Amino acid sequence: MPIPVGYHETIVTSEASRSVEAYWSFTAEKAGGGLVLPDGRCDIILQYNIHSSDVPVPIITGPATQAYTVEYEVGDRWLGMRLRPDNGCALWTSGIAHAVNTVLIGPEALALLPKLAKLNNNNLTIGDFSKTVGVMTKLNTNRWVSRALSALHTSGGRMQIEKLAEFVGCTPRHLNRIFRSHTGLSAKTYAQLVQFHRTLRLIQREHLPITGAAFEGGYADHAHITRAFRRFGGFTPSDIPDELSLPTLFP
Amino acid sequence: MKLGYTIVYVADVPNTVAFYETAFGIKRRFIHESDLYAEMETGGTALAFAGNEAAEMNGLAIMPNDPASTAAGWEICFVTDDVEAAFERAISKGCTLVSNPSEKPWGQTVSYVRDLNGCIVEIASPIA
Repeated sequence: MPIPVGYHETIVTSEASRSVEAYWSFTAEKAGGGLVLPDGRCDIILQYNIHSSDVPVPIITGPATQAYTVEYEVGDRWLGMRLRPDNGCALWTSGIAHAVNTVLIGPEALALLPKLAKLNNNNLTIGDFSKTVGVMTKLNTNRWVSRALSALHTSGGRMQIEKLAEFVGCTPRHLNRIFRSHTGLSAKTYAQLVQFHRTLRLIQREHLPITGAAFEGGYADHAHITRAFRRFGGFTPSDIPDELSLPTLFP
Repeated sequence: MKLGYTIVYVADVPNTVAFYETAFGIKRRFIHESDLYAEMETGGTALAFAGNEAAEMNGLAIMPNDPASTAAGWEICFVTDDVEAAFERAISKGCTLVSNPSEKPWGQTVSYVRDLNGCIVEIASPIA
């Protein structure tokens, strides 16, 4: 796609959005629910109800590889910070290795991040939240992991690990080790997540037929795409639910 | 329909533009303020460069070019009357040698180099 001269826009690429911690919030105006799809990132979340005086419940999630359902009532509010994929280790330190799909709620979350106890009222703004947890944005950048993440997204998750290691300039063994110690996931699992999301977009947004999406997405056959969709979304490619995620969770 | 652009996805757009200016002596038309896209002055069909992340932005999946790996299955070909000089310049400005200028049976002089991103660039004389 050429970009014409004189076209002005601050283009925020997906790559740029992966290089920062993202603050998000969601307030339910009516009761409902949604399926939250995994993106391999860790979240720090406070959950409360704006019509109740109960103190917010802190929630910390490990890197997610499974979809989960969220149900909410009127006034339920979430404040969250989604960490960069390669910064999960800032939160979990060496525990990241066992944090996949872990959800810590209440005291368990406070044990990992005692600062969250300061956020004990339900008039919180994103500003209060970011001031308290912002220290988590401490950079844990590793050039191999950053390069690997970029290449995995550029290739739609279709780069083999050997090829990826060659591209970033280290051995597959070393890449796997540092990738896992930063993100909590194997490079292969992360690649499969990227492949799943891209293929899902091809079906949802571009309205590709399943066979065409599977081919462009890099799935060998119908069984392969179905297995991946069941694993990461809990649904089959022909039965994608309408209400996929909380609106602001995956901007 | 006509061929409007050849767009190469690269790791660093401004770097690639600067490299093409010094190694091949072609001028830039513009670099977009986002540093995600640039065009060279190559006449009616623009040789353009886009950042790798622009591919993802457009929903594409590509194999990023890699100087340390096998080249992608396509090439750019520049045509000049003085292949030897253009080839020497490209090599002295950082291109990697693939094959020295040699004459083909049909009278054309042809040489190949790889650019900073590992893309194949042919430097050849016009076919008479």
